[in-house]
Amino acid sequence: MTTTERGTQAPGAEAPERSKPWTGTWDLITTKNLEIRKRRGVMITMVVLIIVPTVLFYGLRLIFHAVDPHGYGLAGSPQFFSQATNLIDEFGFIAAAALGAAAGTTDLSDGMFRHLVITGRSRLALYLARIPAGLAITVPLVALAFLMNCLVTSYESPPDPTTVSFYSVTAPAHLDQAQLQTWMLANTQQEANGGFLPGLPSGPGITPTAAQVRSAIDKNIASYYSDYTAAEISQSTPADNEMFKIGLWLELDVGIAFLVGLGFGSLTGQRTTTTIVMIAFEILVTPLLAHTQLPGFIDGQRLIIGVAMDQLRPAALAAASGPGGGGGGGILFGGRGAIGFPPMPIWAMIAVIVGWIAGWSGIGAWRMITRDA
Amino acid sequence: MNAIVLAATSPPSTTHPQHAFGGGVLILAILVIASLGYGATRLTRGRRSRGHQPEPPWPSGRPAPPPEAARTAPPRPLDQRPPRATEPETEPESEPKEGWAVQTHGLTKRFGSNVAVDDVELRVPRGSAFGYLGPNGAGKTTLIRTLLGLTRADAGTMSLLGIPVPAARGQALARVGAIVDEPRFHHHLTGRENLRLLAAARGGDAAGRIVPSLARVGLTERAEDKVATYSMGMRQRLGVAACLLADPKLLILDEPMNGLDPAGMHEMRAMIASLAEEGRTVVLSSHLLDEVERTCDSVAIVDHGRVIRQGPIDELIRGAGARVVQIDCAEPARAQQLIDQAGLAAGTALAHTGLTVTLPAGASREAVADLNRRLVRADIDVYSLREVQTSLEDWFLSVTSRLGETS
Repeated sequence: MTTTERGTQAPGAEAPERSKPWTGTWDLITTKNLEIRKRRGVMITMVVLIIVPTVLFYGLRLIFHAVDPHGYGLAGSPQFFSQATNLIDEFGFIAAAALGAAAGTTDLSDGMFRHLVITGRSRLALYLARIPAGLAITVPLVALAFLMNCLVTSYESPPDPTTVSFYSVTAPAHLDQAQLQTWMLANTQQEANGGFLPGLPSGPGITPTAAQVRSAIDKNIASYYSDYTAAEISQSTPADNEMFKIGLWLELDVGIAFLVGLGFGSLTGQRTTTTIVMIAFEILVTPLLAHTQLPGFIDGQRLIIGVAMDQLRPAALAAASGPGGGGGGGILFGGRGAIGFPPMPIWAMIAVIVGWIAGWSGIGAWRMITRDA
Repeated sequence: MNAIVLAATSPPSTTHPQHAFGGGVLILAILVIASLGYGATRLTRGRRSRGHQPEPPWPSGRPAPPPEAARTAPPRPLDQRPPRATEPETEPESEPKEGWAVQTHGLTKRFGSNVAVDDVELRVPRGSAFGYLGPNGAGKTTLIRTLLGLTRADAGTMSLLGIPVPAARGQALARVGAIVDEPRFHHHLTGRENLRLLAAARGGDAAGRIVPSLARVGLTERAEDKVATYSMGMRQRLGVAACLLADPKLLILDEPMNGLDPAGMHEMRAMIASLAEEGRTVVLSSHLLDEVERTCDSVAIVDHGRVIRQGPIDELIRGAGARVVQIDCAEPARAQQLIDQAGLAAGTALAHTGLTVTLPAGASREAVADLNRRLVRADIDVYSLREVQTSLEDWFLSVTSRLGETS
């Protein structure tokens, strides 16, 4: 008997066919997308978690304002914009993680993985096709929810304030750095009484002198101006370009959740387990670790994706979420915008984000390639 | 960044209604998990109720199958396995000009200390219906999974349609269709949608074969129904339709009759026959001897992970040797004594209606006539004398270790 050696072809071997591309083809992506979309339970969960909270949030506020305009302000304030964005972010993260877990496990649980492998298509291509197929569901849903948020904010917002509050100091709006310095030097009494300006002596019963305030202003004016600008942005209706940046940030955060869910789901092969772990990570582990700075382990805590994404949060949203900006700062919903972690270098932030995306995608693909079907 | 510093150093100036959402997300998280769990439970229940149906009863008139415990017993550990047969497994066959449809050399697959596929040398001729026959737990499905790249081999080489796998697995599987174990599909999709998914994975012309494949297996009318509503037989047929998307030159069907009712088995048998008639190579893995005998031209017998015989069924049975004659006669006890004393038989046994005589291996037809002559001369009335055809099942039981295990 002639033994066929590896890599050689025996007599009568089939003529080579056109080699299939190793990446997912359009048909592979669209059919996988169809498979996910047809899961009624998953899609209902997605809509309930991403769209419904925004609809309820603004729907109730619009109704309350319509019924009692004096008791309830306009629905589209910058505060509400920030809160609604945080809602979309947190619920979107959970929904996308659940979707990723489903996309990563249903071929296995339904017994289709074996059929797919038998087609001869590269397992890597099968894995990669799941990414655009799933993102094609999360991205439009998040965009729709955020669009509602932006529309209400744009058309139902109060006029921008004429003053800006920062460090318990209320200054006129629209000042440049020189104007702010001049104004602050002329109002040292207010700043001294507030006592919150960084660089001033503070403590029970300590009131800084006018000279100390002037000295601090001259020394720290660049920092104060930066904070003044951030506060001004957060107390004003976000500009279109700010909204666009926030939208991109939201999509990135939710997209990461999907990719991690997909990779983790492919690793475990267990949809329910994956979903539970992802939810626990998002609503328990991340807030707990992000709000507690462990001495000597801060760099380790910075490896948490939530902390890195927090650093990337657009200025308007971050300020609005923090107490200084007057936005919401709950442990879940604003936790990221107000966690007070010392800033990390841009390269480190990007490395953490890319690491999570590439790492979990790599783990998921590896497991799919090596898994017995 | 500065905004974060601000947030950390200043007290809140407003009330934050968002805090209230913390409880909301926890409740929703619980609901999500609960709904997922409920869905999984429903799915499991559905599979249980629709899934594995009991195997059809063993054909009447055949020896009773081994007890269930023995049939489903896991393979014995390596150190307790019977010694390897010293006789050659098969007559050496020369490689056909067109090559083998399936060829393995020294193929081995282990699960820990358990050798599921043990140094298998398999050669499947092209254009044949080939049975891969063995008891439950003999390693049939593992061999198929290894051939198809569903699991990795630990040793050996293999090729499909002359193309080495796993080196050129994608190319080899382009013209291979296979059903492994029970065919399962996305239950929430229709039959057609499931085929679309598989056609997309195959690429090429596969999408254009969806409609003819559904028609071929008789599922056109139900193509738009969800697979969840399909019977086991319909899912088996959908599995065949999935195979046909490749316009396969080689079909590998693992236990295709499992869970089918008699009508379904009849349909499946006819479908397999028609596929073989078209010149496709069909490899049929089964523990149902009768099915393999009815459907296949050639067979390989596998036991404890090893191929112990392979070749055309007729040749294998002929080579089994012993010729058995059923004699219906008066005075069977005296007839038995006469035959035993004359040394004409390798063995005799009294049967319900007469006597069963096993002639020595290589006995000719003349030996049967001699038996008749001697009985008549001894004034024993002979009502009928019939040579019993050795069936594949008889032969199978004689060459596999299962017979010894159950006796």
